[in-house]
Amino acid sequence: MTRGSRRFLRPDAIARIHRLELRARAVVEGALAGLHKSPFKGQSVEFLQHREYVRGDDLRRVDWKVWGRQDRFTVKEFEEETNLRLTLLVDGSASMDYDGGAAAVPPRPTKYDTAATLAASLAWLALSHGDAVGCGVFDDRLRASVPARTKRSHLASVCDALETPRNAGMSDFPRVLRAAAEALPKRGMVVVVSDLLGDRDGLFAGLQLLRTRGHDLALIHVLDDDELDFRFDGPTRFEGLELPADLTCNPRALRDGYLAAVEAFLGQVRSRAAALRCDYALVRTGEPLAAALVRFLSRRASVAV
Amino acid sequence: MPTLEFAPLFWWGLPLAAAPVLIHLINLLRQRRVKWAAMEFLLASQQRYRTRVLLRQVVLLALRTLAVLGLVAALAQPRWRPAGGIAGGTATSHLVVLDDSLSMGDTTADADERETDAAAGDTRRATAFDRGRRVVERIAADLASSSGRHRLGVAVTSRLAAAPDAPELALPFTDMTPGSLPAVRDALGRVAAGDSAAGPREACAAAQRLAAGIGGPRVVWVIGDGRSRDWLGGDEPAASLRQIAADGVTLRLVDCAAEAAAANLTLERLDVAGGVPAAGVLVPVEVEVRNDGAIAVRDVAIDLREDGGGRPGVRIDEIPAGGTARRRFDVRFTTPGSHAIEAALPGDSLRGDDVRRTVIDVAERVDVLLVDGGVDAGADARSGDAFYVATALDPGAGAATGLRPRIVPPATLAATDLSRFASIWILDVERLDAAATTAVEAYARGGGGVVFFCGPRTRADLVNATLHRGGEGLFPVPLAGAVELLPDAKAATQPPDVVVEDHPVVAVVAGQRNPLLDAVRIERFWAIDRGFDAATQGVRRLLSLRTGQPLALEKACGAGTVVAVLTTAAPEWNNWARANPSWVVVLLELESHLAQLRRRAESVAVGSSVTVKLEAGIDEAEVDFLVPPDAAIVRQKAVATSGATLEAVLPPTAHAGLVEARWRRLDGTTRQRSIAVNVDPAEGRLERVGAGRLQAALRGVPFRYDRATDVAAVAGDVGGRPLALPLLLAVAGLLLLEQAVAYAAGYHPVRRSSAWSPRP
Repeated sequence: MTRGSRRFLRPDAIARIHRLELRARAVVEGALAGLHKSPFKGQSVEFLQHREYVRGDDLRRVDWKVWGRQDRFTVKEFEEETNLRLTLLVDGSASMDYDGGAAAVPPRPTKYDTAATLAASLAWLALSHGDAVGCGVFDDRLRASVPARTKRSHLASVCDALETPRNAGMSDFPRVLRAAAEALPKRGMVVVVSDLLGDRDGLFAGLQLLRTRGHDLALIHVLDDDELDFRFDGPTRFEGLELPADLTCNPRALRDGYLAAVEAFLGQVRSRAAALRCDYALVRTGEPLAAALVRFLSRRASVAV
Repeated sequence: MPTLEFAPLFWWGLPLAAAPVLIHLINLLRQRRVKWAAMEFLLASQQRYRTRVLLRQVVLLALRTLAVLGLVAALAQPRWRPAGGIAGGTATSHLVVLDDSLSMGDTTADADERETDAAAGDTRRATAFDRGRRVVERIAADLASSSGRHRLGVAVTSRLAAAPDAPELALPFTDMTPGSLPAVRDALGRVAAGDSAAGPREACAAAQRLAAGIGGPRVVWVIGDGRSRDWLGGDEPAASLRQIAADGVTLRLVDCAAEAAAANLTLERLDVAGGVPAAGVLVPVEVEVRNDGAIAVRDVAIDLREDGGGRPGVRIDEIPAGGTARRRFDVRFTTPGSHAIEAALPGDSLRGDDVRRTVIDVAERVDVLLVDGGVDAGADARSGDAFYVATALDPGAGAATGLRPRIVPPATLAATDLSRFASIWILDVERLDAAATTAVEAYARGGGGVVFFCGPRTRADLVNATLHRGGEGLFPVPLAGAVELLPDAKAATQPPDVVVEDHPVVAVVAGQRNPLLDAVRIERFWAIDRGFDAATQGVRRLLSLRTGQPLALEKACGAGTVVAVLTTAAPEWNNWARANPSWVVVLLELESHLAQLRRRAESVAVGSSVTVKLEAGIDEAEVDFLVPPDAAIVRQKAVATSGATLEAVLPPTAHAGLVEARWRRLDGTTRQRSIAVNVDPAEGRLERVGAGRLQAALRGVPFRYDRATDVAAVAGDVGGRPLALPLLLAVAGLLLLEQAVAYAAGYHPVRRSSAWSPRP
């Protein structure tokens, strides 16, 4: 663990919080300590209204005149801020159910749990800033979804959608993203949380479509430690979670080739994301989610500045 | 072609080679199952490295299978046999040289070993030969049960020594299979320790030639009792064994003797000790016994038999440890012919040397030739030297000596057949012609005894020139001249003229002053050349004069003996023969001494041939030999050798006992003769050489030495090159290679790190 992430709850500790809402809160609270500003806030010249100062607001936006007059802290909201619509698209396909199995020490959450926690954390963060958050869980189509709302109580709806039992079918990125692009009425931010194990061409085509529609894109790539390190021993029969394939092999004999393929995959994803000006973050299921969130939000904040 | 051979264990272990495959299959069944999301990457890797992975797996499986096969092969006593030679192909030939000499009959044992005696229907004490036979049976059984082809041939030392160029094998080379073991046992049952003295020393040269004629891998086993006399002293058998080893033959020596020290008495000698073997005459016989034990033996009884009949035996009070003792006894045979005497000791651990036989050819009378220089042909021979000598040798009625003197003049000497005379007395002869000289010399050199008396007729110049010839001739000393023995003027009383020297002929009158010999007066004698050194010329004195000059001398001539008495036989130059009993005594002793070689009892050693001489024109040329132990008849033709002599030869004997030769004469009468065949008494020397001295004696000869009880399976020494060690080293190499390939193929467990590091 890095020095900074030592502050964060370990993934197994987060995983023990059964309620997603609470889990997200734990993650965000851990993350916020490392954040200096909200990454989701942009700058606009159109003054809209004052609102009360909350911790984390940029001090440069504090209306000092109001403080001088009324002795209370308020910040100026501009038109752009109140129009942020965060849409969270969480991959709920079968491949997201991998968690390392009983051999994982310490136990790890499934990729879906990690993705859902991250999505809920982002939703909680955005809602706490008055942004509208919508969410959808997909596999080959959009399954559970909630429209974007700004009320803070909307987090429960988001969590409910994320916790709805899934079909766990195969992923169909182009179809889902096309549907999302058509369903979203306004420009906003779309965060896709997925392992990206599927039609990548279709995925980036979908993302391209969203970008064309003016959306701000972010890709949170969730992969299990095993999928990144492939530290298997002994004769093993690998059975595909999504692909109808299986392979009996000595994993160590194939490790070098596997890692090379994964490295190529990650490189391809990064480069294509960069080409779409899509933020990209790779998250291991074995790392503290707060650290991952901080890393993502910090990067967003640096990009936003 | 070269062959690789394994013990049967190899074929039983061969299925183990399937173990790596089975383990691989079992591991496949024990594989863990993982539901995997990133199959596309795994499949991509598998597609990319399929060939490499498969190749490594195949190589790994092959290495493991080879290692198992190699281990099974290494444990299966593998041997590499080069291509075979002319005979035997690739089979390993084992030649067993089994000592069947007399000493192998020793029953000294470390434990109470018994051997079944089928003939007697009982058991008896086991001998060293029995132990050797069991060793051969064990060798045969091991060869029959081991892998590869093995041939076994067995030869006994007596037959190898008897016919070294074409030996007869007790068991011809036979392929060893379980089915051939009964034939091996039968062959071994037909051989036994015999009476022969032929052991490894005599047989190894033949064994070397036998082994050299066999192709392919060879092993020579020498199985014996490890006696010092077989291995120490002389070049053999070390030289033959060295050659055997140089021929590339594996050499195994097996010692069948008991560790316990053998205490053995041996009848060393049984022989006539003088006298005249004539009918009615007492003949002294001497028996000698050797004690090879570590302690003295007392009160040893010796049983005696004459012509198969019992007679009183003799006793020896004490025989010291490692020493010998002698005992004399007299025999008297009233009839002429061959008479056998047998002496036997009480049975001990080695019985073969406890019996000894001798044969005395008793004549009616024994002829003695007197050549009197004073007798002309046709003249009365009852005067002069011959009369006094003849009277002493054959006193007449009441004093039978068995001797019959024949008096002839010197002129008839050359025409006389000297071979039938026990001794020749040449009495004051002036000259012997060349033919006579040659005949007498031949007689002496052939073992005869000749005595010269010198007197007034003797001519020193002729004696020195024709008979002495500077020491090359018959006469012992060169004569100078006849001189008088003057009285000793200074002595108050005259000392005796004759001084007795240390010689067996005069031993009877030696010792204390003998008044009979003291009464002998020598007036005249022949002096010898002053420059002659008797001692350096091998001349020995019998009698001397009071002046220190010799009176009677002896010299060996070839195999015979010549005595020269330098005074007259008749009381012409002395008074000895005149009514002095010592004259008769000394002459009889002299005659006995001269004739002892020709009178020696007939005895040959076991393994020697027996020769009977016949007379052409008198005897038929065919002899029947009755051979011990069962008097089997062997008929032999007599062949001419020289002159009128025929010889019939019985091939080398194998058993001790009496050989009786019978033949017919042309006049229809039958003749017979007995010859005693005795064991070599040296076979009774049972001292063991021991492993240490054997190593020293065979320095430079690679061999393996085992005690009979330690000869186990021969699997480790069956010829060919053992491959167990190279195979084990190869297996070790394979396992190292297997580990390396397994590591490269990812079959080695990894050490997992508990800390994770996030990817940037």
